[in-house]
Amino acid sequence: MIEFIFMLPLATGLTALALPASLGRIMLLITALLHFQLTIMSWMGKLTPAFAKYFSASPEGLLILMVTSFIFVCISLYAFSYMEETEMENKPVFICCMLLFLGTMSMVTLSDHPIVLWIAIEATTLVSAPLIFIHRSKEALEATWKYVLICSVGIALALLGCFFITMAMELGNINAPLTFTSLNTVATQLDPLWLKVGFIFVVIGFGTKMGLAPMHTWLPDAHSQAPSPASALLSGALLNCAFLGIYKTHVLMNVAGLGEFSGNVLIGFGLLSMLVGAIFIIGQPDYKRMLAYSSIKNMGIIAFGVGIGGFAVYGAFLHIIHHSLLKSSLFLSAGNILLGFGTKQVQRIGGIIGFMPKTFISLFAGFIGIVGLPPFGMFISEVVIIIGAFQEHRYICIGIFLFALTLVAAGTGRIFMSMCYGETTEKFQVKEKTLRLLPPYALILASVGLCIWMPDVVYETILHSIKMIGGTIHG
Amino acid sequence: MINISQSILVITLLSVLLSLGSTRLTSLVKIMALQGVMVSLTPLFLKDHGSFGSGAIIFFQIMILIKGLLIPGLLYMAVKRIAIKRDIEPFIGYHASILSGLAIILVSVFITNSLRLTLPAGHDIVLITAITTMASGFFLMMARSKAITQVIGYLMLENGIYLIGTALTKHSHTLYVVEFGVLLDLLVGVMIMGIILHNINSAFDDVDTTLLGRLKD
Repeated sequence: MIEFIFMLPLATGLTALALPASLGRIMLLITALLHFQLTIMSWMGKLTPAFAKYFSASPEGLLILMVTSFIFVCISLYAFSYMEETEMENKPVFICCMLLFLGTMSMVTLSDHPIVLWIAIEATTLVSAPLIFIHRSKEALEATWKYVLICSVGIALALLGCFFITMAMELGNINAPLTFTSLNTVATQLDPLWLKVGFIFVVIGFGTKMGLAPMHTWLPDAHSQAPSPASALLSGALLNCAFLGIYKTHVLMNVAGLGEFSGNVLIGFGLLSMLVGAIFIIGQPDYKRMLAYSSIKNMGIIAFGVGIGGFAVYGAFLHIIHHSLLKSSLFLSAGNILLGFGTKQVQRIGGIIGFMPKTFISLFAGFIGIVGLPPFGMFISEVVIIIGAFQEHRYICIGIFLFALTLVAAGTGRIFMSMCYGETTEKFQVKEKTLRLLPPYALILASVGLCIWMPDVVYETILHSIKMIGGTIHG
Repeated sequence: MINISQSILVITLLSVLLSLGSTRLTSLVKIMALQGVMVSLTPLFLKDHGSFGSGAIIFFQIMILIKGLLIPGLLYMAVKRIAIKRDIEPFIGYHASILSGLAIILVSVFITNSLRLTLPAGHDIVLITAITTMASGFFLMMARSKAITQVIGYLMLENGIYLIGTALTKHSHTLYVVEFGVLLDLLVGVMIMGIILHNINSAFDDVDTTLLGRLKD
């Protein structure tokens, strides 16, 4: 029963409410490990869906499930130590929401019914909201309010999109169950006009959640105000889940022969997000906000890659994996710095290389990775996307793409250099701890490892995921 | 003979106009309760939906309970606890709001006519009501400064989307389990928004959204 994958964290999450925080932390870790084990079992094909009307194990879903599960193991290890060292008013609620968050995200990756997918994505918003305002500062409250309201309204529009797709089905006189799998088999009979309208609404709706510009306004606030383990999850896992909703609809459009239209929509949103991300990174005074804008830019790259099609889709999927690994690692490093210096202002931080040499390593490696330099995976994925775009003769798009990448590299570089080597006025507060260092290291090593040796099964899963929209690796 | 479904829809439309013109939050919450019940009743009285099984009857009862009682109840509690009576300082005045509401109805009629959909008889007025409700929800969110009116605007938007769902699709596709999930999301969403509202109120001593402007670039 593949539904165990999301039922387990949901159940343990609710039990954690009743447990004291010390026990809850252990449960967080154990659930993370069990979830990872179940994910591996589902990859081996040992689990079959019990409610095939609503859930199925699609390759793209499994890929994102694996990324989410792996990141969550690392983050739960980090949170184990993090919760000891920070003051949190209500630790059981934090643990509960972390687990429910994992559960709802797993549900997103497994759902096959468009409206079940919608329910799961809306549920991720609701269970992650308490994570953001766990510190109850005025800023955190404002960020949570914006997050819940903007995302709920955005996702409501995606529901409208789902209804339009249902209507396209009715106009085509199709009597099939409403699942992505069965829709793909009858896609050509769907009414093209309403399918297009539905797609637009789905992109606007789930795009809000994914952080595509211009619907991204909640993202920097929420990611910067949430406690670092939660930011790492929001950025590394949640954005992918929202992307999955868009991707599944894009596949449907492709099968229905409207791939060019939906691809162009994605390219437009993608390039706009890249530019917005790049512009706001330059001169950003807050390093967690800088990381959040970098997520917007990377989501732009992914949407762009998928929109281009062909070889670039392969790049986009690589980018999803490596962005999740590197960005969550960076958010965890940023959490260490925040604990150490007690401020998010870039100006007041300096000399990390002297004060926190071990964090410096993960931070610097993450920085190299995130701007797309070798030996990290984002270098490969970005090159693949550019090659794919050349094959499709999208020269203007490539120009904008490269321009945004350069801006980001310059902006991030300046911020990281001043943080690592500059001078500081702050007093150093909390020492580095192994338990908080291992997870960022593990995430970065995973990214490097996947560049050197990618298991065949991962490779094949990516190929299966992109096959439907004509993605290949033999351009 | 009075057509029941049409009268329900007309009441929904009136509730939209009333909500745009209401000056008190408590009355706004009551209007939302009425609107919730009307919206939940609509699919029951649309003729071509055929006969309903017992599962459907239970589902609609739950829906009326949630939309007409639980959600307005939560909102009412939030209004009482935050102790705000008047929805002061609208960005757009009440009379102007009602006038905009009327304009929205006209535009919705125009949109529905220009879509040239082959809808079953009686469904075009559902579509008009749905678009009006959605657009007015958006309007309410933007035109009022209290955070709680934004929640109410969101609810109206959701009501509108539900109506569109009923107008455009047959119920044979949507399974009640799925619709129940959507409803549950809505309920939990309002609950969480209520909790945040309470926290905002204790942190800022007010729930005015103009106070929420600390985070920017």
